[in-house]
Amino acid sequence: MTLTAPAAVDLPLDTAEPASPGPKGRRGLVMTLVLIVVALFWISPLALLVITAVRPLADFIGNGPLSWPDHLTWTNFKDAWDIGNFATTYKNSAILAAIKVPLGVLVSAMLGFALAKLRMKFRRTVMFAVFLGLTIPIYITIVPVFIMMRSLGATDSIFGLIGPYLAFGIPFEVLVLQSFFRQIPDEIIEAAKVDGAGDWRVFFTMILPLSVPALVTVAILDAVATWNEFLFALILLNSDAHKTIPVGLLNFQGQFANNNTGLAAGILIAVVPILIAYTLLQRWIVGGLTAGSLKG
Amino acid sequence: MATTVAVAKQPKRGGRWSPWLFALPALLVYVGFLVYPAVSSLWFSLTNWDGLSATYKFVGLDNYFKLPHDPVVVTAVRNNLIWTVVTIAVPTIIGLLLAIALNGKVHGKPILRLIFYTPAVLPLVSIASIWGWLYNPQYGAINSFLRLIGLDGLAQPWLGQDSTALWAVMVPAIWLRTGFPMLLYLAALQGIPNELYEAATVDGATKWQQFWHVTMPSLRPAHYIVIALSLIDSFKVFDMIYAMTYGGPGTSTQVMGTWMYFNVFQYYQAGYGTAIAVVITLVAIAVGIPYVRSQTREAS
Repeated sequence: MTLTAPAAVDLPLDTAEPASPGPKGRRGLVMTLVLIVVALFWISPLALLVITAVRPLADFIGNGPLSWPDHLTWTNFKDAWDIGNFATTYKNSAILAAIKVPLGVLVSAMLGFALAKLRMKFRRTVMFAVFLGLTIPIYITIVPVFIMMRSLGATDSIFGLIGPYLAFGIPFEVLVLQSFFRQIPDEIIEAAKVDGAGDWRVFFTMILPLSVPALVTVAILDAVATWNEFLFALILLNSDAHKTIPVGLLNFQGQFANNNTGLAAGILIAVVPILIAYTLLQRWIVGGLTAGSLKG
Repeated sequence: MATTVAVAKQPKRGGRWSPWLFALPALLVYVGFLVYPAVSSLWFSLTNWDGLSATYKFVGLDNYFKLPHDPVVVTAVRNNLIWTVVTIAVPTIIGLLLAIALNGKVHGKPILRLIFYTPAVLPLVSIASIWGWLYNPQYGAINSFLRLIGLDGLAQPWLGQDSTALWAVMVPAIWLRTGFPMLLYLAALQGIPNELYEAATVDGATKWQQFWHVTMPSLRPAHYIVIALSLIDSFKVFDMIYAMTYGGPGTSTQVMGTWMYFNVFQYYQAGYGTAIAVVITLVAIAVGIPYVRSQTREAS
């Protein structure tokens, strides 16, 4: 299922050169072999991680990290899951993403719609100001955000992260969505307006349904970014009960410094959901990343 | 008469405020949690606030004058520079080479592409953990591999010594940043019309000439985007350094982002730390403005 290639990206290439046998075909084969070797090398850190995670610690210490395991075991995962507090951090990260992502996509789509399709005053100024957010590093905001959240009583709660996460997601989401909305022909919007539809109805019944591919892509990329965010979570969350996956993993790394196989299992536990999601949804990620940035 | 009224009313449907109602939620959040904190950091950078006390003094530009005399700031600026150059140049070149290879007659293209992009979706903290584990002096795979092939002499505490620590952190950064240029170049390569190559072949151009005179000029927009986005990204470096070396050994891998954090949350010099952040942010904005302007212009 990972091979469901994005047709839009692969088609022109596959049809460009008709398969021709002989030296050209052989060169393709050589190139494939070279790329397979490079790809194996590229993925070897993750492959080693998997192998280490399923072997006993004594075997790892005795035979070294590059040997083949004596026998396989699941106990590393059990230890890592219990000690790493992953049940909690998973839950926190999932709740956060479930609230933040739809909300962020919705408000960004609304702003994108206003910028792309409504006659808005100071449109270019607003656009410039919002896109400028792409260049702002998170750490310039952490002191005031920390003070703000403390006075709101929202430190050490995943809900305190929602505002900052939304704000830092908006520039990219608006950039991609407004450029997508722009391609929707004005005529169909005008036609709907002649039929008496207001801006809101146009937005919810035409723009959003027509933009599902862009919305899905933006939502996925935003979910990845939310799941992975570290700095805000580091400064705002204190207690283990409220930590998200990246902060939890960092703690875990400290505790398991001498248990290499347990550490490998813990890292895997933290990244497996994102790897599965990426593999299943890669078509959207690849298409969206390239379309979103190349257009600009 | 009735029609003229209708026509005149048409553009006003929904009211002049309608666009702003759509824009407002996102703008409020954006201003409240990004613009306002960023701007108020400017104020904190002019104070001697320690981050805890209820009171602080306005000290003008003192914090900024102190920066050049802080040896760690000098190290951090140097590290930021090295980081920027290396983590832009190397991933861009590897990404371009991979894209060119994948754009040829290669089997299993989707899965190869999937593999090369995989590191880019992992949390930075997990990448730091993975590589910290690979670099482990005693049990790490990298030293084990060197011993296996007889290069025992090269086995060393990669993250534990000044001479290699920064480079050791940049390797995983390159690993994770190569996928994006690869995808972008791949899409751009597929957009180059085949006729250009055919014409070049007819004119007797070698493969090498075709690359420099057809491929590279056609990739100019992609180069621009790749380099602009990598540049913007490179100033944000924090997670990898924090999670892999914690700025150490000593302060040898500090960058502006982490040194800011240490000043604020470890040494209780919030005013001074914020000044560090302001400086690097201003550089990031200045460098990013051409890209932001090009995006704004494109959309108008």
